[in-house]
Amino acid sequence: MDRPKELLKPVKFRYVVLSIVIALLLELLPFNRGTVRWIPDLAAMVVLYWTINRPTRFGIFAGFFTGLLTDIASASLLGQHALAYSVSAYAVESRQRQVVMYNLGQQSLIVFGLLMANQIVMLLARMALGAPFIGWGFFFSPFVGALLWPLLTNLLLVPQRYHQAG
Amino acid sequence: MDIASSPPPFFRRGLRPLTKLMICAVLSLSCLIADGRFGLLVPLRDTLSLLLYPLQWVVNTPSGLIRQGSEFMVKQSELQAENRALREHALILSARLQRHEELAQENRQLRSLHQLAQAREGEARLAEVLYTGRDPFSHKIVIDKGSQDSIESGFPVVDDRGLIGQITRVSPLTSEVTLIIEKNHSVPVMVQRNGLRTVLFGTGNGIELRFVSGSADIRAGDLLVTSGIDGVYPAGLDVARVSSVERHAGNPFSIVRCTPIGAVDSRRFALVLTEKIELPPRPEEAAQTTPAPPAKKGKP
Repeated sequence: MDRPKELLKPVKFRYVVLSIVIALLLELLPFNRGTVRWIPDLAAMVVLYWTINRPTRFGIFAGFFTGLLTDIASASLLGQHALAYSVSAYAVESRQRQVVMYNLGQQSLIVFGLLMANQIVMLLARMALGAPFIGWGFFFSPFVGALLWPLLTNLLLVPQRYHQAG
Repeated sequence: MDIASSPPPFFRRGLRPLTKLMICAVLSLSCLIADGRFGLLVPLRDTLSLLLYPLQWVVNTPSGLIRQGSEFMVKQSELQAENRALREHALILSARLQRHEELAQENRQLRSLHQLAQAREGEARLAEVLYTGRDPFSHKIVIDKGSQDSIESGFPVVDDRGLIGQITRVSPLTSEVTLIIEKNHSVPVMVQRNGLRTVLFGTGNGIELRFVSGSADIRAGDLLVTSGIDGVYPAGLDVARVSSVERHAGNPFSIVRCTPIGAVDSRRFALVLTEKIELPPRPEEAAQTTPAPPAKKGKP
């Protein structure tokens, strides 16, 4: 462990909700088809962050509901992201005590695997319902997501580190 | 109760993770099947997307402003070059239009001579493509004209070269266009060279003709235009060009692959053809609705 344990303020639930709302708003940003494949699935990353770091407040059910909201926001089939997020939240929850001890680099690798699993679950679900294979570009975004993981972690830690003067 | 096998309440965290996963998986799979296979959740999704619209607008406003700003800062030389190219283009088009009008006049006279219905002049509305749909599995774009600009569901959408899609969902200020390459999206077309009628299907990655018999007269390079018999697309819009025809002895149908003529995925502007095609009612339906009185059958 190269990261010193620090004392953090307890997370308010409305802060968790706010982070998810912001991720979903970013999901609504307009991009063209070429750019979209490089944009990481931010809602999935926020779900993973809270499942890793606050397992008592955020788990499989919360991941499922966030997935449903993402489905609505991204106009995909209802249940597609929900299925993927609950699978990856389950994977985290069953190994949470281990994952939370890793440093950010190691966590990035795990997040990469989980985001990739998300994409595979979604691709399989859609192909089972008759969608065509849409090319390997669909698997670009987990790379970007894994690279952005340390940044996202630090961003979400900012309000928890903040101490009022005095 | 054995104290070693059951954890003290302090450690209890509700259901086991696997049980939770099972519940969520069953719920989401049933949603997926209800939505994807049976389309049961389409009204729900329509309502939700309407609720989402203000959020979408809020998120889209800054990028729209940035785009307008960057358009304002274009170099004058670029504008001049573009202007010159457009003027040349307009000259060519107006020359072509003169011939077209002559032909249209001739066509009108011939049609009245043969007592055929007059082909109507179409109206069109220019729209800007706002963004492509976020779902990578479906080919949809969103344009900046909606029901306030009297856009209706079903209108065909073209670009400067050919058909690119059809309006499938309309909200007050925007509407959604399903592109012709969307899986199972179909367009009735005919081969321009010989008038052979067939149906063009999207495959999700491209377009193809299905159910073309192995002996049909169709070859690579043929131009496909809308046939106009569906009452959705007006006749004569360029749609696609046949890129390859494969015939197999074991298969009654040939495999006909096509490439779209319109730039389906890379256009900033699109033209919505806002004309309603009113076809005369089908004779079969008329017979079906009045099956009771057989005495009327004597009328031809």
